[in-house]
Formats: sequence, C-alpha cells, structure tokens
Amino acid sequence: MSAEWAWLLAVIPACAFIVLALFGRSLPRQGDWLGVLTVTSILGLLIAIFTKTFGAKLPMLNAVEWTSIGDFSLSHGIAIDWITLIMLPVIIIVALMVNIFSIGYMRGEPRYSWYFAVLQLFVASMLLLVLADNLLLLYIAWELVGVCSFLLIGFYWEKRSAVEAAKKAFITTRVGDVGLLIGIILLWKATGTFNIHELISYVEHGELGGTTLFVSMLFIFLGAMGKSAQLPFHVWLPDAMEGPTPVSALIHAATMVVAGVYLVARLLPMFEAAGGMMLIITLVGLATAIYSGIVAFAQTDIKKVLAYSTVSQLGFMFVALGVGGIGAGMFHLFTHAFFKALLFLGAGSVILGTHHHQEMRNLGGLLRKMPITGITFAIGSLALMGLFPLAGFWSKETILSAVDYGPGSWAFILISIASIMTAFYTVRLFLRTFTGEPQDAAVAEKTHESSLIMTGPLIVLAIFSVFAGFFIFTDFSKAFGLPGGISELIYLHYPKHFSVHWDLVGYSMALVVIGTFFGVWFYWRGSTERSTKLAEWQPAIYHMIQRKFFFDELYQFVINRIILGISYVVSWFDRYVVNDTGVDGSGELTKYSGFVLKHLQTGKVPNYALAIVVGIVMLSLITLVLRG
Amino acid sequence: MIPLENYLVLSGILFSLGVYGVLSRRNAVLVLMSVELMLNAVSINFIAFSAYLDVTQITGVIFAIFVVAVAAAEIGLALAIVLRIFRNRSSINIDEAAELKW
Repeated sequence: MSAEWAWLLAVIPACAFIVLALFGRSLPRQGDWLGVLTVTSILGLLIAIFTKTFGAKLPMLNAVEWTSIGDFSLSHGIAIDWITLIMLPVIIIVALMVNIFSIGYMRGEPRYSWYFAVLQLFVASMLLLVLADNLLLLYIAWELVGVCSFLLIGFYWEKRSAVEAAKKAFITTRVGDVGLLIGIILLWKATGTFNIHELISYVEHGELGGTTLFVSMLFIFLGAMGKSAQLPFHVWLPDAMEGPTPVSALIHAATMVVAGVYLVARLLPMFEAAGGMMLIITLVGLATAIYSGIVAFAQTDIKKVLAYSTVSQLGFMFVALGVGGIGAGMFHLFTHAFFKALLFLGAGSVILGTHHHQEMRNLGGLLRKMPITGITFAIGSLALMGLFPLAGFWSKETILSAVDYGPGSWAFILISIASIMTAFYTVRLFLRTFTGEPQDAAVAEKTHESSLIMTGPLIVLAIFSVFAGFFIFTDFSKAFGLPGGISELIYLHYPKHFSVHWDLVGYSMALVVIGTFFGVWFYWRGSTERSTKLAEWQPAIYHMIQRKFFFDELYQFVINRIILGISYVVSWFDRYVVNDTGVDGSGELTKYSGFVLKHLQTGKVPNYALAIVVGIVMLSLITLVLRG
Repeated sequence: MIPLENYLVLSGILFSLGVYGVLSRRNAVLVLMSVELMLNAVSINFIAFSAYLDVTQITGVIFAIFVVAVAAAEIGLALAIVLRIFRNRSSINIDEAAELKW
C-alpha cells in the first residue's frame, strides 16, 4: 500500500539537501534545478498516494519499532489521514512554486546553492512533521523546521538586522517549544505512549483526563502558539521578514507557521476533552486576529503588512479550531496557504522589480509597470479579503458559520470585526502599492516587470487562489476524485455537509464591503491625505499602533530588567560562590595549608626521629588505654 | 634458669639507650651506633622469645640472623653517606645537614 511508500516524501528532499549542501556549488547552475526536480518528483509521488488512498480505509498507518528498552518500546512511523492529506498538497505545491520563483528571485545572490539546500531540508522536515504518527517524531520535525526557519531568516547574515531577526525567531519559538516538549513528556508519563492515535483513544475511553490532560494540553498549546505566532509570541514573525521573500512565502506564510494550527487540529479531540482549553484557544485566536489586524493598519513595509495579515489569519484558524470547527480551520489553512504565498511572491516580484524597495511610501502606481504582478496581487488581495467567490470567501464563510454555531454572539462579533480589518488593510496595501502616482520617480523609472520564471508561479497560485475554495463543495471535490468536500472529510463528531447559507453570505460580503469602503475612502488612488489627517488627529493612538502596542519594548524591558537581573544574580553566585569559593577555594586552601605546614619539614634528622618516637609512644598509649 | 623477664628488661634498657642516643647525639656516627644498639635490643628479644616459647622452631633465631645481616648492609651504606657528607662539608653534625626540605 502507498502508506509504505509515503516516507519517501520526506526522504527524497532530505537526500536533495545532502547533495546540494555537499556538492551544490559544483553542479551546473549551482543545482537550483535540483530543488524543482525534487519537489516535482514528490508531487508525482503525492498524486500516486492520493489515487491509492481513495477508497482505502483511513488513517493508514505504517510504523517500525525504533528501539525497545525493557517494557518500553518506541516505534516511529507515518500516519496518513485526511488532515495529512490536506496538508501534503499545500506544502508540496507551494514549495514547488517557491522553488521555481526563487530561481528568478535569488539569481546572483551569494550562497545560492546553500539557499536551495536549506529549502529542500525545510520541505523534508515539514513533510515529516505532517506525516509523523507520534509526538516524538513530530517534535523532531518541529525543531527541524525551526532550524530551517532560523537559517533562512538569517540568510543575509552580513546584515545585522537579519541576524537579530533570526535569533529572535529562534528564541521566541523556543519558549513555546519547551512547553510542547513538557506537554509531550507529561502525556507520555500519564499513558506511556507517544502515538497520537493511541493518545486520542485513551482520551476517548476516559482513561486520560482531568488536570493531567488539561496541563499537558496547555503546554502543547504553548508550542502551537509559539510556532503559529499567536499573541503573545507573535513578535518573531514580522521580524522574520528579513529573510529572502520566497522564504517568507513558503515558511512564514503557507507552511511552517501553520504547524501550530495543524498540531491543534491533529490533537483536537484531546483539547476538547481538556475542559476549558477550547475557550483558551478561541480567545487567543480572537485576540491575535484583532490585534494584528489593527497593527497592520499602520505598517508601511509591504512585507510587514503581509506578515501581520498572516498572524491575523492564523488567529482566524485558531478561532475556528477553538469552536470545534476543525474542517473550517483546516480549510482556511488550505486556502490561505495559496493566496498568502501568492501575495508574498507578488511582494517579492515588486521588491525585485523596483530594485529592493519595499516601503509603501517609495512605491505606488506599479500596476502599469508590472501588470502581471499587479493583477495576480489583486486576485490574492481579493481572496484574502474574502470576496465572493474566491478561495478566502469560502473558508471565511465556514469559519463564520462554525463560530455562529459555537460559543455565542461575542465571538461572532469579534471575528466579524477582524474580518472587516482584513479587508481594510488589504485594500490599503494594494491601493498604496499599485495605484495612484509613483511616490518616488527614481524608483518608478527603473521599475520593470519580472521574468516569466517569477510571474509563472504567480499565475499558478492566482488560479489556486480563485478555485481552491470550491473544494468545500462535495460535487467539485468529487470531480477531482475526492470522496467529499473538505468539511466532510475532516470533522470532529459528525461529517458536516457544507451548504451555502445565503444570509451568512450576505453578512460576510457586507463585512468585506465595509472594510473595502473605508480602505478606498482613505487610500483612493494611493492618496494618504485622509489617513495622515486621521493619524494627526490622535497621534498618541497612531503612535501606539505603529509601535505595535509596545510588545517589543515590553519584552526588551522584561529581558533587560528582569531576566538579565536574575542572570546577574545567578552569574554572581556562579562566579563568586561556585567558582571562586568552591573550585578555586579548595585549591587555594590546599596551597595555603601547604605553605603553612611546610615549616614542619625542618630537614633535621633528629626532629623526624623524635616525631617517630613520639608517634609510637602515643600509639602504644592509645592501644593500652583502649585495650583496658 | 634465668627467667625470660630479665632478657626483656635488658632488651628494653638497651633499646631505650639507643633511642636516647639517636635523639640526643649530633654526631652522625654516634647516631648510627645508637641505631645499631636498638637493632641489637630487638635481636635479643627475638632470641629470648625463641628460646623460651618456641623451642622446636628456629624462626626467632633466623630473624636475629637477618637483623644482623641487614644491619651490616645498612651500616655499610650509612657510613658511605656519612663519609660523603664529611667530604662535602668537613663536618658530620646532622643538624647542619638539613638541606633536604622544602
């Protein structure tokens, strides 16, 4: 069966990584074609797996025993169910487009083949992450994608800001990752297994629950929050934009950052059984969606706007999962990957076309100069806003209806507000970048459309951004051989056949129109006149939004004052108590006592003889007294 | 027959004289002679015990012969050292030969 061959999905790119890392520089064209070849081959393998899985019983499992110590045995393996089968095409298609796009985007960059090598390592780790059947293997892949993210954010390590962004991303996610590891260990301690399906069945049979489950799931959710940049761990993702733009598209928009969503979706029955966790997930998602929506208003860097938009959309996914709408959450993940990758690659095309300008105040009027980028970017923007009938509309629609069934009107209102914000900042981004008059004549003069190798992936992703949403419909999915729409394939309690609620459609469209209206009113033809007036009307609030509500400053304060303070005390203790007193102290004491006692060695024979005699006499007396 | 105690008392007096000599004398040759005195006291003890308590065996006698042999060897070596000291510093006062220290 195909599950036995599915491990090749991760192994082939891993081999490509080794080849590229070792021999990349001596290959023709520095091996950039090898990346495309690798991802194309696993795309073929994926299609083969898909054709085999139709009609097969899911999940398909294939595990081998890894090690066994006493009673404890650990087996690693792969598990394929519908959640995995939704993730696989997302990862592979976006990775393929990014690989192709990168050939154009990274041309002439230093460490060209190393870039492609790490890209393949990332694909391998990400596929391992979604294929893993146990939490330990998942954790290994989880850290591997983190390392790839670190390497690629810091790809331009000549730039200090890139190095600091890479460090920030690694350390921030590490805080969550420690939580994830603690959660996994707690679950293992309670049940003795890492296997995800066994853990879920433990929970379903009521053998695992109560405080243990709640605490474990809370720690695991910390990991998901770190990776998926949820409040308050979101700070690393906007800074991660220091990396090459195609990397932002692949890792920091479409795949790695949704690992947290994937993890929560994978373990959702356990989260549901851990009383209160679902509400926490919903609240975190809502707070993140609204917070980053607001912050996106005041960002002037096009990549930063997209980054905050990604954080916000990840919040949407968590809200969907928090209300039990696993199909809605995974569906939004599915559609979001395509249009957000499209937007990031579009931003990359803009950056290259304008010779490294990504501040909106230097851009404007690009639509005439870069028609293909502009039109595909517009499609991506409309899909992100949720315009009927593009991909984003359907996934936002499923989230709205899931929330509608869920916790009550407050969540529905908040998610609606976040939805309006999405439309607003997207319109702002598009209008200021692509319409109106060029803000900087020098930039505009040199601007040119990107070559086919970059516009090609944009067009493909634009097609996906239009059509990916239809996979929610049973009939459309069946035309592609799937047994049903996505919300029927991925469900928690009962399959939900998606049907269009026209009142919700109208409501959702009304939200988009409101957001668009404000966006157009403020930024028509790229004008910033009205928005500047608004910012000047309340400069304090504008300043707060622009500075992202002082999260970075707060963390810097905590690190400087509290963490470094504790570190100072600890280092003082280490230096003076452990090192100087403990280690050096015992040596010094020996030295000093030797210095003092050496005077006993007179070198005079009679003194030694006297000592011997006195010693013998003393010993004799002691023996005499003790013997009685 | 002379009782065993007499031999032991004699050996004790001899040993104590030897110890006194080792501790009080400054002349290296006299110190060596005192050491010989102590060794002889030990030999008397061996032979006395051997004769009184262990008539059939000759262990104590063998020990006494060993002590004599070792003492002869030791005194040969020690006198050679004393000779060298005298050659070097024209004195055999052991208080002055005190360089072997820190």
